[in-house]
Amino acid sequence: MTDTIRRGDLLLQVEGLRANVEGKKILDGLDLEVRAGEVHAIMGPNGSGKSTLSQVLAGREDYTVVGGRVTFRGRDLLAMPAEERAREGLFLGFQYPVEIPGVNNVYLLKAALNASRKHRGQPEVDAFEFLALVRDKMKLMQMDEAFLNRGVNEGFSGGEKKRNEILQMAVLEPTLALLDETDSGLDIDALKVVANGVNSLRRDDRAVVLVTHYQRLLDHVVPDRVHVLAGGRIIRSGDRTLALELEKRGYDWVRQEAAA
Amino acid sequence: MNVAVNAPGPLTRLAPALPGLPGGAPWDEWRGCALARLQALGLPSPRDEAWKYTNLRLLERRELAPAPPRPVDAGALEALVPALDGARLVLVDGRVAPGLTAGVLPAGLRVTPLATAMATLAPEALAGGFPLPGDDVDQRVRLLNSALLTDGLHLQVDGELAAPLHLIHASTGGGAHPRVIVDLAPHARLTLVEHRVPLGEAEGFAAPATEIRLQPGACLEHVRVQLASAREIVLDDVQVQVDRDARYVQLGYAFGGQLARAETRVTLAAPGAHAELHGLFMVDGSRQLDNRTLMTHAAPRTTSVQVFRGVASGRARGVYDGKIVVAPGAAKSESSQSSRNLLLSPQAEIDSRPQLEILTDDVKCAHGATTGQLDEDMLFYLLSRGIDRATARGLLTFAFAEDVIAKLAIPTLRRSLEERVVRGLPDAELIREFV
Repeated sequence: MTDTIRRGDLLLQVEGLRANVEGKKILDGLDLEVRAGEVHAIMGPNGSGKSTLSQVLAGREDYTVVGGRVTFRGRDLLAMPAEERAREGLFLGFQYPVEIPGVNNVYLLKAALNASRKHRGQPEVDAFEFLALVRDKMKLMQMDEAFLNRGVNEGFSGGEKKRNEILQMAVLEPTLALLDETDSGLDIDALKVVANGVNSLRRDDRAVVLVTHYQRLLDHVVPDRVHVLAGGRIIRSGDRTLALELEKRGYDWVRQEAAA
Repeated sequence: MNVAVNAPGPLTRLAPALPGLPGGAPWDEWRGCALARLQALGLPSPRDEAWKYTNLRLLERRELAPAPPRPVDAGALEALVPALDGARLVLVDGRVAPGLTAGVLPAGLRVTPLATAMATLAPEALAGGFPLPGDDVDQRVRLLNSALLTDGLHLQVDGELAAPLHLIHASTGGGAHPRVIVDLAPHARLTLVEHRVPLGEAEGFAAPATEIRLQPGACLEHVRVQLASAREIVLDDVQVQVDRDARYVQLGYAFGGQLARAETRVTLAAPGAHAELHGLFMVDGSRQLDNRTLMTHAAPRTTSVQVFRGVASGRARGVYDGKIVVAPGAAKSESSQSSRNLLLSPQAEIDSRPQLEILTDDVKCAHGATTGQLDEDMLFYLLSRGIDRATARGLLTFAFAEDVIAKLAIPTLRRSLEERVVRGLPDAELIREFV
């Protein structure tokens, strides 16, 4: 897994993905290609399947994949359990990060990092190196060091939880980051900090998929591609001007044009 | 069935064991009376409401009679319990072992070994009197403890004791039936830490009884760590009387025993009395751990809190059977009860039964119980960070238990319990790093 990724390499390929939850059709033939160096935004109205897409790609078992194929760097993603997807370099930033009192934030981060490194055949980081790395990234996220010794997301405000997600992403340096409505519930200052964190991860050998309802995050993290997700499939793709148009005109016109 | 419990039964074998016990004629008579009453009543069976979940048929082939005194090496003990600040007292098979006492008893604490006192004092003259318990089915373990009473301690506290008092119950196998009486004078303060540890893996049976009396304004923090061997049966009975503005806090951690039942009955006897029972039990294999509580609000403006967490794996069984009674006239009392349980295997079982009996108006009572598996959202979160499934499950189990362990103010003790929890989890090495 140490082979180099170059800008433009295909990282994620989703073909005709169909997924159900409790028998209900949520994703209905979704296609998506994400290449190294790109930032994609997936936008869509509530209930369009945005969160389902993130969760299915990250390996949540509550969803049943009933059709289609997903490859990540050429490997069958759907055949891997969630923990292996993470170690292969896929990161999901949760819309609602769960609180896990009793599991220490910093140790989770260290265990997560070492699980990935071990998977790639790299030596584990020791406590000293690790702390230096985390402190560095916390500064970027403007987080207080007190967060380190708390339980995972324990007693964090909504904004703090989102920052913590981006902190984890910054430490784990995934090849592909899926950020599920990371912008929701953030005030403008927190939004800038989060955007800053995402931008710092932009590199030729990585990609970011932002799943979002609003365009405002895209003012700070400028996407290469914008997709409209509705009815469980991508009905339109374009460049960043599509996001601005959606902001102005809503989603109905896209749906009407797609139906026509 | 009932027939098997009553006759010929383990109780009928006990009479020959009685004459060798300490105290002379008045105590022989007292014990004989307790035994006769118990034989007439029979041991409790699952047909008794209070014993619905606890089947004592395991006692059929168990030696109940007190074990003879056996010498114990202090080193063996030290490997089993953490060293705490403060004095240490040890009971071996329910008998005071003066040779194992360590540390200096603080001023303000008076310790009376019961067997010694029984030699000169009759039942009615010792430690404020030893009345025999009633015929109530709840009291039968106490009756058994009375019938076989071997030794024990009377602890009298006057003043605020800074260091914890460590009381160790060690068992080498056979019966152990001590009585521990704790009297706190008005405004006295004590942290009492009890450890139950096995010396070896012999079959054992313990029916210890504890009597706690807190005078007005007194405060007792009572930590109980139960690490009995998988071949021991323990029927533990604690009775607490809390007077005006006094405070009783029990932190119970139960891990061991083939069958271990801990019953705590608290009476909040005067306004301002407060009690908290925090309990963690973790049970595996095909063992059973029971917790039974009875919290009686007998006076107005009394408050109580109960928080129990249970974890069962394998084919193990756990029980939380807790009752709150708010007596007539106990207005403006507040009481809460929470029982959360975690089942780590499909064959494991935990019965949770929080009950409220409110006999007055103007009280605030809340109770809740849940029993389930590990939280799927938490599990997925950890998996999505690359943590493997076994470790993630272990971490979440640890986190569940930690909730009650975190209540401990003594770091050494907290660490020893965390270590005990971790040792039972998959990927213990990795999880240890998180602690």
